[in-house]
Amino acid sequence: MPSPLFRRLRRPPTLDLDDIQATLLRARPEPYFGTHAILEITEPAAGRELLRRLAPRVTSAARWDEPQPSWLALAISYQGLVALGLPETSLASFPANFRAGMAARAERLRDTGVNAPERWEFPFGTPRVHVAVTVFAASEDDWRAEVAAYEKELGEVPGVRLLSHQDFAADGFNVFGYRDGFSQPVVEGSGAEPLPGDGRPIKAGEFVLGYPSETGVPLPVPAPDVLGRNGTYVVFRKYHSHVAAFNKWLHDNASTEAERELLAAKLVGRWRSGAPLALTPERDNPAIGEDPNRINDFDYSADPRGLRTPLGSHIRRMNPRDTKLTVLTDVNIRRIIRRGTSYGTPLPPDRVKDDRKPRGLDFIALGARAIDNVEFLQSEWVGSGNFMGLGKEKDPMISLQDKGAYFTVPGTPPRRVQNIQSFNTLLGGEYFFMPSLSAIRWLGSN
Amino acid sequence: MSENALHAKFQQFPEVVREKVDAALSDAKIALKLRAAEILADKEEMAEHAVTTAGRIGAKSGEVSELTTILPLKPNGAERLRKFFGLVGGNLAGAGQVGTLHNMRFVFLDNDTKLLFATAFDGEWDPYIDDFATKIPEFMDYLFSNVEGWPGITSPDVKDFIVKYQIPAEAWFVAHPNLTVAEGHRLKRQEAAVQRFLSDLN
Repeated sequence: MPSPLFRRLRRPPTLDLDDIQATLLRARPEPYFGTHAILEITEPAAGRELLRRLAPRVTSAARWDEPQPSWLALAISYQGLVALGLPETSLASFPANFRAGMAARAERLRDTGVNAPERWEFPFGTPRVHVAVTVFAASEDDWRAEVAAYEKELGEVPGVRLLSHQDFAADGFNVFGYRDGFSQPVVEGSGAEPLPGDGRPIKAGEFVLGYPSETGVPLPVPAPDVLGRNGTYVVFRKYHSHVAAFNKWLHDNASTEAERELLAAKLVGRWRSGAPLALTPERDNPAIGEDPNRINDFDYSADPRGLRTPLGSHIRRMNPRDTKLTVLTDVNIRRIIRRGTSYGTPLPPDRVKDDRKPRGLDFIALGARAIDNVEFLQSEWVGSGNFMGLGKEKDPMISLQDKGAYFTVPGTPPRRVQNIQSFNTLLGGEYFFMPSLSAIRWLGSN
Repeated sequence: MSENALHAKFQQFPEVVREKVDAALSDAKIALKLRAAEILADKEEMAEHAVTTAGRIGAKSGEVSELTTILPLKPNGAERLRKFFGLVGGNLAGAGQVGTLHNMRFVFLDNDTKLLFATAFDGEWDPYIDDFATKIPEFMDYLFSNVEGWPGITSPDVKDFIVKYQIPAEAWFVAHPNLTVAEGHRLKRQEAAVQRFLSDLN
């Protein structure tokens, strides 16, 4: 069954969908099952052989609106490109932050303290993270079959080592109990029909290398063209979610369930069903959350002070839409395609004690500017409030909070809720390049 | 104050401060050494005005960064820019829309062959350059196309071009290091509300 949140392909696509990896346009099924694996290439020839073997398994974005039982995505870090023996002229054509890797960009990403690379789980932050393989599937059986097929290839290639294997599964709601993953920019030329509230289609070059971007010209494409064109960048960040701490903070600051749900919605900007405060400010309305034509059908023109949707709420920070910002910013070049996945079991809202079980979110952002944009988001829209005139207030859901941090709920008078904590801790991550299908074949044959 | 009194006062500073000052300013007069010791010994003041990096290049104090460039001008570049600056009477009021800009100045050097462009801005070097390329590209290109080698604001080389001509400051002071332009606007609105309230009260 296709999810009701699937977009429909309504216009003839103008992008090379046969060459672009599926994940860029294909929505997560609901429910979904899958695996993220990290591989190390110890022999260049073995790395190339694995790419040759996996190439036929990597799914393209063609007919991205039709349901598919499972698909496989593949991305390579800078160290991975080095390990494959890519020539220096080609390596040098990649952007500096990608070449440095995520750990080296910790200062820019505000990954300090408990989020610092020294505290990440293996293999993140080491130069051994070379290839990321992700399997998405719509059923448990399809997931196991796809993983088994990839593992068979991996097992037959000595010289490529499995460093980590993480399974994930969820029903479209994250471990905090909120629907997620349904707000995506519309990529021009993908053939997607914009849904109400999606905004205008954004130039393909913002998401796929080799096409005109919002500036009118393509962003820099790695050389040679066969390697760079139809590729994109991926930012992967694995978070542990402190759901019990979130629930406890709500219990400490609100006395009834209705008050707690409202306070939580003020942090997120949406209710658990996905229904936005902008459309239903007093209580959740699951009918809106289940309706792809309504869930994003809003702007902030009638709410400049954030009385419904706080200026500092998570969704208004991540996508300010028509909010008047205090800093000259083009919100259309700051969009990312989000393919995040949840792992572990959700913790119900009445549980305020940590059960120490692993649960959280693999944040996955795709786009031609994904690395620049995540660095921008982390420092400007997550780690600061200056762009909304909120001083040093940070994103209430995904930032690293300082001691004594607070969240302001706008109102007359505003309510300042104290001691907000970091509800998500970073466990590691890396920058990857997601090559086109022809680039994977090229890398494999070189 | 007599020379002896200055020496006596200098001796009152902790040894670690005196040693630092003596090592760096061995040939300076005692009055200057005393001033330097006073600056170093005021830990709170030093911490508030601590100088960090603005990211890619430049100095930052609190939230405020500095950018100083000396750019080679094309022949008649200064003349064209003067026409524009003259038209607006040297008033660049529209630049306020950038929202992170505290100040900026354009100064012609060396017989109009070079342009000194210096500015103080909120945050770090990188974040908003990309936004200028889509929000105010015509204005950026109009001003800087008079500079020799300007690649254009949408060029992928534009950041490297600016960095090539930027000279990082060796020292940087900001009176209110944590007061961003946006915070300044908010405080002005707040002050106006307080004044309105006081007027209404009487």
